[in-house]
Amino acid sequence: MDQTPPRHSPPSLEVLTRSLRTPLGQVATEHPDTLALVRRRFLAGRSAQPGTVPVAAFNSSI
Amino acid sequence: MACRCGAADPAAPCRPISQYVLKVHSRCDLSCDHCYVYQEADQTWRNRPARMAASTVRAAATRIAEHARAHALPVVHVVLHGGEPLLLGPAGLREVLAELRATLAPGTVLDLRMQTNGVLLDEELCRLLVAYDVKVGVSLDGDRAANDRHRLFAHGGSSHSQVRRALALLRRPEFRSSYAGILCTVDVRNDPDEVYSALLAEEPPRVDLLLPHATWDRPPWRPPGVATPYADWLGRIHQRWVDDGRPVPIRLFDALTPGRAGGGTEAVGLAPADLLVVETDGSWEQVDSLKVAFHGAPGTGLDVFAHPVDEAARHPGVAIRQVGLAGLCAECRACPVVSRCGGGLYPHRWRTGTGFDNPSVYCPDLLALIATVDSRPLPDRPVARRSSPGAPPGHAGDRPPGRPAAPAPRPAGSAGDRHVESATDRLLTGLAGGHGDPWALGVLAQTQLSITRALLATWRDTTGGSAAWELLTELDATAGEAVDAVLTHPFVRPWLVRRLARPGTPDDDLLPALAVVAGVRAEADAELEVPVRGDALVLPTLGRLTVAGARTATVRTVAGRLHVRAGSVERVVPLDAAAGSTLGWQPVRRVPVAGVALAIEDVDPERDCYGQPVAPTLDEPAAAALGRRLARAWQVVHRDVPAHGAALDAGLRAVVPLAPDPGAPLRSATAREAFGAVALTELPDAATMAVLLVHEWQHGKLGALLDLYDLVDPASTVRIPVAWRPDPRPVEGVLQGAYAHLAVAEVWHARAAADRPDPRPARGHAVRYRDWTREAVDALLGSGELTDLGERFVRRMRHALEGLRADPG
Ligand code: SF4
Ligand code: SF4
Repeated sequence: MDQTPPRHSPPSLEVLTRSLRTPLGQVATEHPDTLALVRRRFLAGRSAQPGTVPVAAFNSSI
Repeated sequence: MACRCGAADPAAPCRPISQYVLKVHSRCDLSCDHCYVYQEADQTWRNRPARMAASTVRAAATRIAEHARAHALPVVHVVLHGGEPLLLGPAGLREVLAELRATLAPGTVLDLRMQTNGVLLDEELCRLLVAYDVKVGVSLDGDRAANDRHRLFAHGGSSHSQVRRALALLRRPEFRSSYAGILCTVDVRNDPDEVYSALLAEEPPRVDLLLPHATWDRPPWRPPGVATPYADWLGRIHQRWVDDGRPVPIRLFDALTPGRAGGGTEAVGLAPADLLVVETDGSWEQVDSLKVAFHGAPGTGLDVFAHPVDEAARHPGVAIRQVGLAGLCAECRACPVVSRCGGGLYPHRWRTGTGFDNPSVYCPDLLALIATVDSRPLPDRPVARRSSPGAPPGHAGDRPPGRPAAPAPRPAGSAGDRHVESATDRLLTGLAGGHGDPWALGVLAQTQLSITRALLATWRDTTGGSAAWELLTELDATAGEAVDAVLTHPFVRPWLVRRLARPGTPDDDLLPALAVVAGVRAEADAELEVPVRGDALVLPTLGRLTVAGARTATVRTVAGRLHVRAGSVERVVPLDAAAGSTLGWQPVRRVPVAGVALAIEDVDPERDCYGQPVAPTLDEPAAAALGRRLARAWQVVHRDVPAHGAALDAGLRAVVPLAPDPGAPLRSATAREAFGAVALTELPDAATMAVLLVHEWQHGKLGALLDLYDLVDPASTVRIPVAWRPDPRPVEGVLQGAYAHLAVAEVWHARAAADRPDPRPARGHAVRYRDWTREAVDALLGSGELTDLGERFVRRMRHALEGLRADPG
């Protein structure tokens, strides 16, 4: 989690639920705002970590 | 919005309905004089059966289930209601709950609720409600004087002590999971301070305040000379609530507060009211508080036996409540606060002659109340603290006109009342308590799926169309479950994020493999070129076929098997192991645990997303041994803390073996973007593995929640010292650690309390994890770095922590 870049505001539950009801082929045309939100929230900043897997992992040990 | 139901005809647009009120009993043991069922214009209850017959429950459940399937509804909310639903008695209630769960739960997440006056609630009923995971709202109007003003028996006796006894039962730890909250109907003659204190004394998970039902024909009582008595009365409670640091969610205030997550309610806001009522005789009705308008006002002339939900949803009275701003009168449409007020509760707009085409009869109060709420803004929202002019639209709670807010479940109240709770409240409250119920896990899984689908659509936009995309979208329209089954594979999103965030990475396109897997799951006949990765054809969720010397393979899907042609070699892969094996085919192995098929994920190269080496594919004996240990560990979790067992059942689908490291033999990991999977090293015993499963699944759940809500100020740079590591951690890391350790403390606490020969080691672990968690929780609360939601979440965590006794065992 330490490596997680600052994130943009999350898409709301409503936005995600609505787009889930839409056929996959129409998600981009019917929910462009959702796509933009998801891109900003979950992709922005990921490319700034060349050479690493841009997935924030939580490693635990007991 | 086009929908999977295919109802794209603009003349009969699709209107999915996710909330249902079932009037399971139409009579009541109280005789409240403010009840809309018996005391208002509509008197249809007189000619209806007292109880809903079993055949009617079945017909209603079947209608709702077919609707949920057709519209791919992720969640369906069903509220048992009356009259008084507890008049069914334990046997009658059990029948109804069993029918609803059996018919509805297989296809969708079923959120079951009940609103009751509480008079009949006893231990037996509480056990039943917990067993069927029913959340209960209780109607209480405040202190004894306030409650006795209206909520009386027919003989004039008080119901106050019975209701308080019911609330005390629900507060007990074994029943607390069924305690949804209190619904209080406002009467401005009551003392707001007394009412507020009385409600909080019951420690409700949430409170809702309801304006008494009224119309322009029968306006609410107002003291002479006071312009906005309801706003004044509610304003006093709001002041107390703000001064106290908003100790409990109050739905009406949350819904009116700009920027507050949770969206509107049925009483305020522009959210579409996707709600239908089923009366005891099976009639479909509109929102039942319409009974205040005129006799027969809620009727549709339709019933569950002859008419599907879609038809009832197209009734003009239901449809107009789904169109937001366009369904309001001209005065409301021009109102500057319309996006928050939404014209008030629909029945409050009624006036003979103009029907519902009016502002609310409470209009001046609503305007004044919104001004009051605005005068006391949230103190700690990051957007308020740090100016962020570029904040993207659609932030949770951001509800510009015309864009309805989050789809809050809108369970109805005891007849005459309506309890309203948002999905956000329920999600946060349920998860903050440590486990999360199946409903919460279902919401997390569905929103994760939605994110993956949005990323996949972005991938399509980035790379252009392809045969694989065509196949996937075609299958999505005809066999959505098959597509969902592959898109919920934990490692689809990590792949998408990597490819989309770092374009140009030399990597293969996963889309054809996903489409082929969806095709074979849907038993479709399809053929695609699928890239070979290294020397293997990798089919997520199914397995890996060794294919030497080819860059692509042609894969044809036929029911139950795959025909693979790579170069000149052709092979048939049966998906059912019993149908034989194919040379070079390594299927994904699955362990049956508590009705779930848990995958041992050691085949998909995308599993390598944990920041540490994953183990190579296990040989058969090693996989079998791991499977046995996982199954045993799962049982141990159920034994120790059944609620954590249920949370595993509801969402954990894959375990990734990590590569052994003699320097750190006991390790586990969670990847934020791989929801549904955790990674573990080879572990010596099931009890240790049980702890790690619980620990990691906490990270998985919280990570998915953090995808939806900022619990920590996104701009935080603060680091906090923690007891479990030498280096100070970022605030989100402390939250993650505390959340995991809270669950681990619960496990050790349960072990310490169990009847074992030597409980001392477990006791030591329980105390250590509890103390670590408490220190971290206090540091988080004192950091000033939590958002408003985050603070509420962490306060709930602390509450759960207090449930662990100081001296376990
Ligand atoms: S308000 Fe509720 S408890 Fe009171 S009479 Fe009506 S149904 Fe019964
Ligand atoms: S009821 Fe009154 S306050 Fe509410 S939207 Fe209509 S005009 Fe505005």
